[in-house]
Amino acid sequence: MGKHEEELARELQRRGMSRRDVLRIGLRMGLGAASMGLLLAACGQTASEPAKDAATDGEAAAEPASESIFDITAGDTGAWPKSAIAEPGDKIEISVGHTWDAVFFERQLQFDKLFMQRHPNITVKAENTPWGEYRQKYTAAAAGNAMPDILYTQFSWAQETIRSGLYIALDDYIAKEKDFNLGDFTKPSLVSYQYDGKLWGIPYDEGPGNLYYNKDLFDAAGEAYPDDSWDLEKLKAVAIKMTKGEGPDKIFGLGELPSPGDSLMAPNYLFPFGAQYLSEPKEDECLINKPEAVTAMEWWEELRAKGAVPSPADLQNVAWPAFQFGKIAMTLQGSWATPPIQAGSKFKWDIAKWPKGPKVHATFSAGSAYMITRDSKNVDAAWLYLNEYISTAGQTYMWASTGRGSPSRLSAWPAYLGSKFAPAGAKNVEEAMSQGIGTHDILDQPTGPRVTQAAGPIWDLVVAGQKSVKDALDEIFAAVDPIIAENRM
Amino acid sequence: MTNAQPTPITTPPKGKPKLGGMARKEERSFYLFILPWIIGFLLFDAGAIIASFGISFTNWSALSAPAYVGTLNYSRLIADSVFYKAMGNSLYYGLGSVGLGTIVSFLLALLLNQNVWGMSLFRTIFYLPSVVSGIAVAILWIMILHQDFGLINSFLAWFGIKGPGWLVQPQWAMPSLILMSLWSAGGSMVIYLAGLQSVPTHLYEAAEIDGADTFQKFWTVTVPMMSPVILYNLIVGFIASIQGFVTVYVMTNGGPANATLVYGLYIYRTAFINFQMGYASALAWVLLVVIILITVVQFIVARYWVYYEGDLKS
Repeated sequence: MGKHEEELARELQRRGMSRRDVLRIGLRMGLGAASMGLLLAACGQTASEPAKDAATDGEAAAEPASESIFDITAGDTGAWPKSAIAEPGDKIEISVGHTWDAVFFERQLQFDKLFMQRHPNITVKAENTPWGEYRQKYTAAAAGNAMPDILYTQFSWAQETIRSGLYIALDDYIAKEKDFNLGDFTKPSLVSYQYDGKLWGIPYDEGPGNLYYNKDLFDAAGEAYPDDSWDLEKLKAVAIKMTKGEGPDKIFGLGELPSPGDSLMAPNYLFPFGAQYLSEPKEDECLINKPEAVTAMEWWEELRAKGAVPSPADLQNVAWPAFQFGKIAMTLQGSWATPPIQAGSKFKWDIAKWPKGPKVHATFSAGSAYMITRDSKNVDAAWLYLNEYISTAGQTYMWASTGRGSPSRLSAWPAYLGSKFAPAGAKNVEEAMSQGIGTHDILDQPTGPRVTQAAGPIWDLVVAGQKSVKDALDEIFAAVDPIIAENRM
Repeated sequence: MTNAQPTPITTPPKGKPKLGGMARKEERSFYLFILPWIIGFLLFDAGAIIASFGISFTNWSALSAPAYVGTLNYSRLIADSVFYKAMGNSLYYGLGSVGLGTIVSFLLALLLNQNVWGMSLFRTIFYLPSVVSGIAVAILWIMILHQDFGLINSFLAWFGIKGPGWLVQPQWAMPSLILMSLWSAGGSMVIYLAGLQSVPTHLYEAAEIDGADTFQKFWTVTVPMMSPVILYNLIVGFIASIQGFVTVYVMTNGGPANATLVYGLYIYRTAFINFQMGYASALAWVLLVVIILITVVQFIVARYWVYYEGDLKS
């Protein structure tokens, strides 16, 4: 491997990129197949190393694989909850399934190390699995009754796994804890983890979609930065105005357009016009071909006609989020996009609220949680861990002080807003949640993946200019309606 | 000029002939050589294959206990438009890639069978691409096929032709993958080359004495003598093509507009994205049946065009 490839491999390793990310970056850089193969090999090693270390030795798991960018004591307020659950009398081990990027997994190991110091009889074994392999791995583990004690769960598959009986309800434990205040959690954060009147997981984050903007491009164009006065008409006008150039140097005004193949689409692109994708929250009626939805989608497609958004070919060679490469003036992303943008961008950027529409001001809100699994052999110890991990102190340590953002507890937001790692416009993230702009009315029923899989390919034909918006939405209705019929039962 | 195929002169003996000492030794060697594969198959594959047949009669998400649903998963196939799309795409890809691959690899083998200086180097160069990993090949071809910066469209631009978005336009995506499949033609090329080198030279000499020109020697000696090798490559190539997954997953993930949604990818999505293990198992068993049917048809048709030297026909 050449010097530059080695350097790049180290950098990709540091960022914990997936093979797919490496592939896109390599393409963009015009690397040859041989170099790319070596980089992919290097990336493959990095993805598995932390998990392997963690899985083989609980003590080893507590030692960061390399130096963290975060100080181990920074963000530790010391205000850890006093649990009503007794400490284990003997030494026991609990396992926790995560899917962090490599940088953030080091923070995870720091948390675990401090936790084990506070609870000497509990050894924490952290398993870190790349995002693309996570669900398959733990579905197989569930089939073999071999899940870890605690498991990360994303909103999109939470209901399906809860209803399949993978987790234990946490209400009894919560009731025993004097200082566990469910009212401290943002309302949308709990939605995906409640079922049958019980709470099956504790969310750690819930973030709104935000308008990320490239300040350098705005400065160059002489445009004022987006602010609270913006509406969607303004967004569209500025996106068109800022689009310029051709080929590899082209600047795009906006990063993406709505697609019914995206489970997060409705709040940002349809709700503002009084339209919906599926009836929420039951998702038992498809409303995508109603006149107001057709009008809204046609309104957005005008941006494609003006060349203001990248085509599929333009996005073929770039890693997510494409915004980080500096050719896109504005993009809609969840707050979880902040770390890769921070790490990858060489320009000034910030966050604004998603602009309001003619009828409603809305943006999607989504997040993830941790659950105690039915396979746990040490449920009390798992609760001790989870209670601290998702406490205000835990959220401050993990997500607020690190600038990762969108903690599910309101009490952890001040630490996020004060973090040196948070973007300057972080208050917009908080306000989107506190002002009720962020809505969890996204496709989170078990039918969601099948709905988007059916709709996405039909919409591809609109993107390719081979089908009208109206015809495509009628077809999507016909394809989606039989799928969501099961939600009517 | 006479046809190289001899006229059958005897009737084959009925029943299994007794093996001599050499033949028994050869038979033992055969089983020893295939033993590692059989052990691996029994340990790692056989159980899963048998289990998948049982699972195909259940509704099972892998997260909770399976529920017996009889033949529901199989009857569901009939109304599943994506099933037909995926099957059609796989057959399209199989026919296209095997057809084109057979012609190109056979022609390459003919060229590399010439007695010229540096032939070993040429053979290595042409074989080399087929040992590059599937992911690396996919990366390379994404670059080659890129609409704006790709090698192919840059070449077309010299002639004033604006090339299409090979991988992003529905009508071009599958032809692009078929074109890309030629990259691994080196594997079958080596088999053709080995076959060409085993064609007895006396047949060519006899043809020359009969006044055959180059094309006549090719058509009446080379092609019949190579027909078993062509059949082997067609069968193995088609089975591999119809199960294609890696390059499609990396390059297009079935898009755009399901234009490259091949059957293997559909099974993967059904099982590991939608967690419908029962339906995915049914899809897999239908694929097995389709492969067997196509292979049987290939063998039946082979009776009319494949020549086995020394074969005794009734």
